[in-house]
Amino acid sequence: MKITSSLVSVVDDDESVRESLPDLLREFGFEVRAFSSAEEFLTSDCVGQTSCLFLDVAMPGMSGPDLQQELTRRRQGIPIVFLTANRDEGVRARLLERGASECLFKPFSEAALLEALNAALRLS
Amino acid sequence: MLGESEQRFRAIFDEAGTGISLVDLQRAGTPIQTNRALQTMLGRSQEELGFFETYDELTASDDRETDAATFRELCEGKRDSLRQEKHFTLRDGSSVWANVIFTLLRDAAGLPRFVIAIHEDITERKRAVERLQAKQELLDLAQKSARAIAFDWYVQQGVNVWSAEQEALYGLQPGSFDGTYQGWKRLIYAPDWHVLLKAIKHAQETGEVAVEFRVQWPDGSLHWLATNGRMFFDERGRPFRMVGFTTDVTPRKLAEEELRRSEAFLAEAQRLSSIGSFSWRVATDEIKWSEHLYRIYELEAGTPLTLELVRTRVHPEDLTLYEKMVGQARTGADDFEWQYRLLMPDGTIKYLHAVAHATRDRDGGLEYIAAVQDVTERRLSEEALGNLRSELAHVSRVATLGALTASIAHEVNQPLSGIVTNASTCMRMLNADPPNLDGARETARRTIRDGHRASDVITRLRALFGKQDVVTEPVDLNEAAREVIALSLSELQRGGVILRTELAEDLPRVTGDRVQLQQVVLNLLRNASDAMSVVEDRPRQLTIRTERDDEGVRLTVQDAGVGFDPRAANRLFEAFYTTKDDGMGIGLSVSRSIIESHHGRLRATPNDGPGATFSFSLPCGNELNTKVQ
Repeated sequence: MKITSSLVSVVDDDESVRESLPDLLREFGFEVRAFSSAEEFLTSDCVGQTSCLFLDVAMPGMSGPDLQQELTRRRQGIPIVFLTANRDEGVRARLLERGASECLFKPFSEAALLEALNAALRLS
Repeated sequence: MLGESEQRFRAIFDEAGTGISLVDLQRAGTPIQTNRALQTMLGRSQEELGFFETYDELTASDDRETDAATFRELCEGKRDSLRQEKHFTLRDGSSVWANVIFTLLRDAAGLPRFVIAIHEDITERKRAVERLQAKQELLDLAQKSARAIAFDWYVQQGVNVWSAEQEALYGLQPGSFDGTYQGWKRLIYAPDWHVLLKAIKHAQETGEVAVEFRVQWPDGSLHWLATNGRMFFDERGRPFRMVGFTTDVTPRKLAEEELRRSEAFLAEAQRLSSIGSFSWRVATDEIKWSEHLYRIYELEAGTPLTLELVRTRVHPEDLTLYEKMVGQARTGADDFEWQYRLLMPDGTIKYLHAVAHATRDRDGGLEYIAAVQDVTERRLSEEALGNLRSELAHVSRVATLGALTASIAHEVNQPLSGIVTNASTCMRMLNADPPNLDGARETARRTIRDGHRASDVITRLRALFGKQDVVTEPVDLNEAAREVIALSLSELQRGGVILRTELAEDLPRVTGDRVQLQQVVLNLLRNASDAMSVVEDRPRQLTIRTERDDEGVRLTVQDAGVGFDPRAANRLFEAFYTTKDDGMGIGLSVSRSIIESHHGRLRATPNDGPGATFSFSLPCGNELNTKVQ
């Protein structure tokens, strides 16, 4: 049986994030899967295996918070680290309130990423 | 005794100034004796005339038959004398007219013996009468064609006999004029009576009659008559006869009045619209100006005009243009239009706009008729408006910029995020043991790529929000729209908008200012997005479409938002009209002025379903307004 907690998923419509973030996370030693939309992630076989989800807030179609809601509905308690290029503290506070593990403003440092990742994994 | 009498007769016969002939009826061949005067008159000798037959052949009278018959009666003794007007044709073809009195002389037995014919040369008189008749005919003809009626008034007798034509001039039935001075006075339109009195006084002093006055016909209508003639005076210097012509000049007078009125209208219209006019005969350089044009040029009305004088008023910077125009106008014969400036002696500048129409004068020479408008005020207000418009446009851009701050940050932060993450990865790969050089190279390559992406974003933003002068260039509307879409996408996504793009391929380019046009597109997208912000019961569908249309190229933005009240449709484009809580109401008004300065049209139409459609059409390859000016 595979250890489910080893998988980290990244959902972002921005290609440069989908390329760069998984590589860094792999450097940290994680197995990583990247998706360009929330729908793609939901229909993949990774939902149940993901131990930490890096999720972009603004995306065409289903947004980050929409996905969060959908996962809650499906009782998939995956720790979520939101990513947003929009530096809005109000949005961040709301997301944390709704159960997000962390919300990182792009661009974020390696240290901030690691901290958020560790915090999320502790949750799971 | 008889011999003496014979001798005396002979002498009278030979020496008489009148042409005399003597026909012997009792001798065979009726020989004829002619005197010198007759021979001279007819241009023939006694021998040539010889017999009555030869004499008779020379004559031609209008009643030759009757004349011959009466002459026979004379010869037969049935009458003693007769008078005939005879017409002789001379050798050179000319005519001699004679009044001939034939007298019969009888012999002792009472039988016809001789006929004496006395010829009175009436050629001169005849010609005078002919000339007179010709003159009379000409006069009649002249009267008829001029519709002028002659009159002849013996002033002292006070009686004035009028012809039926003369009566007709006064609207009277033939024979109804009583011929008196008082009767005549009653026919004159009362307010014009003093004009006639003045004219009569003038005629009494100078003999000259020239007056125009109105008569009132019995039906009440007014008619203009013009009288020209002469007053004659008796030996005591008193006027006794007035002769002249009277003409009905009503149509001319009405036309003159109409002309005067039109001229007055024209002058007033020119003054009100600040338009002057001029005509210029190219061959003679004869220039005529309207009063208002003198006013525009600030020259005294009536100043004789030369091109040289006109030239002194032209602004020095426009002189080359002015001379080019004059030169072209001289050689060509086309209508033309130009704008130039005047520099007044006090240093003020006037902007003039002239439109000239080429035509031919009566002699077939080239002549221009032109209208010149002083557009100084319009130019100044256009400049002011232009400044205001660009201020507004800038304000609008800044307002848009404020609303898009988040979106800008987003656009810049995306590639920055990639850069930072890639750099971190790269560091880790290089620090590993052994270093992952291939991985490091790949991440470094991505770092560079994302750096360029960030730089592109900044360039686009500067193009969109920097205050720049208007630049005219060929614009690919699809490309311009794509750039705006790229910049707005995240904002639209935040607003839950589903964007659909339908950009036609092979769209012709338009000429214009790309940044301004993008501002319009951005504005329409924002409006569409805002209009859908409260929509919850249906997809927030936004379609941006480009296509060709009759006018050139069209860009359409269609939303499914709250739409607008069709009754307020014409207010949509007014400045400071807004339906948004946080809107300034200048976006559409600025957009429209931008589109119109590109010779295009911006329209708003409600959708059949929910929402509204805004679109603008631009002509292909047209010049910008601002560039023309």
